[in-house]
Amino acid sequence: MTSAVTITRHGGTGGRTAVAARARQVVKAYGSGETRVVALDHVDVDIARGQFTAIMGPSGSGKSTLMHCLAGLDTVTSGQIHLDDTEITGLKDKKLTQLRRDRVGFIFQAFNLLPTLSALENITLPMDIAGRKPDKGWLAQVVETVGLKDRLKHRPNQLSGGQQQRVAVARALAARPEIIFGDEPTGNLDSRAGAEVLGFLRRSVDELGQTIVMVTHDPVAASYADRVLYLADGRIVDEMFRPTADSVLDRMKDFDARGRTS
Amino acid sequence: MTVLKTSMRNFFAHKGRMALSAVAVMLSVAFVCGTLVFTDTMNTTFDKLFSTTAPDVTVSPKGAKSDGSTPQNGVPESMPASVLAQAQQAQGVKSAEGAVSSMNVTVVDSDNDNMGSSTGAPTIAGNWTRNDLRSMEITSGHAPRGPTEVMVDADTADKHDLKLGDELRTIAQTGDIKARIVGIATFKVTNPGAAVVYFDTATAQRELLGATGRFTQLNVTAEGGVSDAQLKQNVSNTLTATGVFKVQTQKEFSDESREGIGEFMNVIKYAMLGFAGIAFLVGIFLIINTFSMLVAQRTREIGLMRAIGSSRKQVNRSVLLEALLLGFVGSVLGVGAGVGIAVGLMKLMSMAGMNLSTDDLTIKTATPVIGLILGIVVTVLAAYLPARRAGKVSPMAALRDAGTPADGKAGVVRGLIGLALTGAGGYALFLAATADKAKDGSLVLAAGIVLSLIGFVIIGPLLAGGVVRVLSAVLLRGFGPVGRLAERNALRNPRRTGATGAALMIGLALVACLSVVGSSMVASATSELDASVGADFIVQGNQRFVPQAEQAMRNSPDLAHVTRYKEVEVTLTPPGGKAEKTELTAADPTYASDLRRVTTSGTLTAAYGKDAMSVGSGYAKEHGVKVGDTMTVAFKGGSTAKLKVAAITDDDVAIDKGSQYLSIATMERYLPADRIPPSDLLFGKAEKGKEAEAYAALKKALDPYPQYQVRDQTDYKQELKDQIGQLLNMVYGLLALAIVVAVLGVVNTLALSVVERTREIGLMRAIGLSRRQLRRMIRLESVVIALFGALLGLGLGMGWGATAQQLLALEGLKVLEIPWMTIGGVFAGSAFVGLFAALVPAFRAGRMNVLNAIATD
Repeated sequence: MTSAVTITRHGGTGGRTAVAARARQVVKAYGSGETRVVALDHVDVDIARGQFTAIMGPSGSGKSTLMHCLAGLDTVTSGQIHLDDTEITGLKDKKLTQLRRDRVGFIFQAFNLLPTLSALENITLPMDIAGRKPDKGWLAQVVETVGLKDRLKHRPNQLSGGQQQRVAVARALAARPEIIFGDEPTGNLDSRAGAEVLGFLRRSVDELGQTIVMVTHDPVAASYADRVLYLADGRIVDEMFRPTADSVLDRMKDFDARGRTS
Repeated sequence: MTVLKTSMRNFFAHKGRMALSAVAVMLSVAFVCGTLVFTDTMNTTFDKLFSTTAPDVTVSPKGAKSDGSTPQNGVPESMPASVLAQAQQAQGVKSAEGAVSSMNVTVVDSDNDNMGSSTGAPTIAGNWTRNDLRSMEITSGHAPRGPTEVMVDADTADKHDLKLGDELRTIAQTGDIKARIVGIATFKVTNPGAAVVYFDTATAQRELLGATGRFTQLNVTAEGGVSDAQLKQNVSNTLTATGVFKVQTQKEFSDESREGIGEFMNVIKYAMLGFAGIAFLVGIFLIINTFSMLVAQRTREIGLMRAIGSSRKQVNRSVLLEALLLGFVGSVLGVGAGVGIAVGLMKLMSMAGMNLSTDDLTIKTATPVIGLILGIVVTVLAAYLPARRAGKVSPMAALRDAGTPADGKAGVVRGLIGLALTGAGGYALFLAATADKAKDGSLVLAAGIVLSLIGFVIIGPLLAGGVVRVLSAVLLRGFGPVGRLAERNALRNPRRTGATGAALMIGLALVACLSVVGSSMVASATSELDASVGADFIVQGNQRFVPQAEQAMRNSPDLAHVTRYKEVEVTLTPPGGKAEKTELTAADPTYASDLRRVTTSGTLTAAYGKDAMSVGSGYAKEHGVKVGDTMTVAFKGGSTAKLKVAAITDDDVAIDKGSQYLSIATMERYLPADRIPPSDLLFGKAEKGKEAEAYAALKKALDPYPQYQVRDQTDYKQELKDQIGQLLNMVYGLLALAIVVAVLGVVNTLALSVVERTREIGLMRAIGLSRRQLRRMIRLESVVIALFGALLGLGLGMGWGATAQQLLALEGLKVLEIPWMTIGGVFAGSAFVGLFAALVPAFRAGRMNVLNAIATD
């Protein structure tokens, strides 16, 4: 019933709209009848371009599902999702694949890299698949930014967990996607490595104007974002701008307490 | 108990993955059981046939051959009618009758078409006796009653649309018998294919034996209460005064008749079991691979089991139990399918003209038992290594990040062992290729083949790296990143790629080897024919030449000469040497120009002079015979001659190797006219410039004798090529089983790899790999694996084939010819096999839900 619609105007994006992704009345339900489970319950959300958005919520709140739907990995039961001005709900697999390939970047919690490819090959993989030549200068800049210059020839199993995630970040950035989705990208890392990766994400937003959406349950991770959306029971129940770890934690404790009393 | 429960659960949880292995076990077991059922059924059929056709006691002339073949003069051995009269006097004889039969006949209809079987079953002509009524009944018309009446069996009549009143011509050594069909008799048991014609006794005696009042066999029936053995004793006693005869009870007679067939059946049986063995061998790779992959996928689970207290042994045993279940299921299905295969084979045989009835289908208890034991034992043995590896999984594995299972690295020890074996195999092949004697070399060759095969299987995973890289560099270049991913995937587990490829390698190596040997045979024979055969026409057939056919050839126009070629049985004694039973080649002197043999000393034409002969160089060397020596030649059924050696022929040939020649004229001096053997072959030389006319005329002249084929050199070579081609096709057909199992292996490896790489696939799909690209990637991986196996197999096989040719060069296989078309075709075919194998795995990978793939643990 509550739908927190926020339209954040962000300058310097040229002719593009300020909203990178938009969900309207999105419902995602599994099963039917008695066993019907609603993962997303009429969600409306706008993801602002050039901003770092975090989606938080307890397990089963639908945060991952929302991200998957926004990214075109999952289909919705009803409602519409636009990526820029392309409606992706209803697109066929072929178009969706192309869209993910050309316009979206991904960072998963684990298993981000193909074990058979070197770090560099992993980074350029989306472009290779698309048959595009990577922009050499941009690639060098990205590699430089994530600090992987001397690790490019290594296979994933020769890299530490933090390094692997940095490669994943580099891959997501290298193709210059309109939007990057992260699914708990630091979930498997210790706090130092996690901070490193989050730092890169932050910088890519600040310095490169990248749009990032990240699902997390870690208040510290969320504190790197410009804006935090809270999900519970498939609905967006709250949001917070310019969060700090403490404020996020407080808000979550608040929800927790409310959840217990209700 | 828990172990069994886990095994069962695991087995059923992975039934999809087990299915292909089960099919492999099933196919192999089915082939074994099918072979056993088929050969047992054939044996039953012949048993029934022989025991119903044999009378209580049989009396035959002493020299009669049990397989019914005629002696060298082409007329069956016989005995006078007086013996019958005497046998009838013996105690306990209810009745005795004289029978006449000959297998040295050909029966043709009015269009000169051969009524005989095309499957090698005999044509039999004889008199109609009461004994025949035990196995046959006259279903139409009546028994033959005069010189122009004949009765034919119903199967033959059906096959050739023969009706009462049709004319049949029976071509025997003693002449042609023209008679009209007055009766058709039907077998009450299954007759696998013999064509049988009956005459009345007088006609049979006169036309088949060329004499009256003689029989080839006596059929004696016992009075009630007299056993066959007793009757045999009585008849033998009665006949002792008259002469020496072969007296046999029903059992002895049918056993003896069956012996010859039994040997033939055993050859078929063991050949087919050999191919089943190859399929099993290939299946082993599939099973090893399946279990290795299952164990690898389950590493974490096994680690957990170990962590909570399962012993190594229990883990080991649980995997073996799964194998046992797999073996059991596969074998049970295989036994069932085996019966189906046997029935299918029987149907196939009847299409080829061999009647077999499913009523006789014989499934011995041993058959399913053998099938089950074989299937289960092989499966469990194959699963032993993976099971041991499972036992070695440390409890720590439960705690480690599963990710992808550790890539199986090919070890150094493995490489060294493989190299050593391959080296030893290569050396053995080298020895075989340079051997002086074919006999010594063949064992070394076999050792070389086995060693190099095992060596290749062992170093396969090591070779996989290099070979796959080269193949990919050549073939996958055009496929961009998808090709590169396919290459990396094929390379990531060399042991798996190696084992999958090795399975295909085995079958293809055999195909390559045989095709090299086969085409070398054709090439060698062709080059030798070109070099040595001077005759324009070669006439041969499955009945030795009857005089009337020989005369027809002589009367044919435009022939410069006709050469007869006969084989005569003799006892040969070199000067100061030991007597030895052997056969000499008696030919007309023109044979010296029809087949130009190189002599090491003397001249060939001189060997055809009066009281002269030639010997082969091998014989001459062995017995120290020189030109001018005198050989003692005792002709069977004739007198003994002293023949002077006039030539020694070089044995370094394939045609007529080791033949010792003399002229027919010389032979005739020492053999009575009725003992002169009929010709085995006839050669013709056309008048100069009239080759085409002579060929056409000769074909026409021999038209009434369809059992003989006239060929000029071109047709002869083609025929040779066709025959070898047919033989090879049959062997390829049987090898197809092994190749099918190998293809299942490729499917299996891919299917399991796809499951194993679920997360990777999900990731790739998420970052934009299209379904089409994904499917292509899997197909390309499959093609690379298949081509890897093909390259190894074809290379190995060509090596074997070339070695075999080098060795057989001693036996006349002088020319090495590599059939590049076949080899290239097989290589290209393997790529298609790879594509085909990837169909389902690629489809399933494409269908994978991206999200599930990412979420998979």
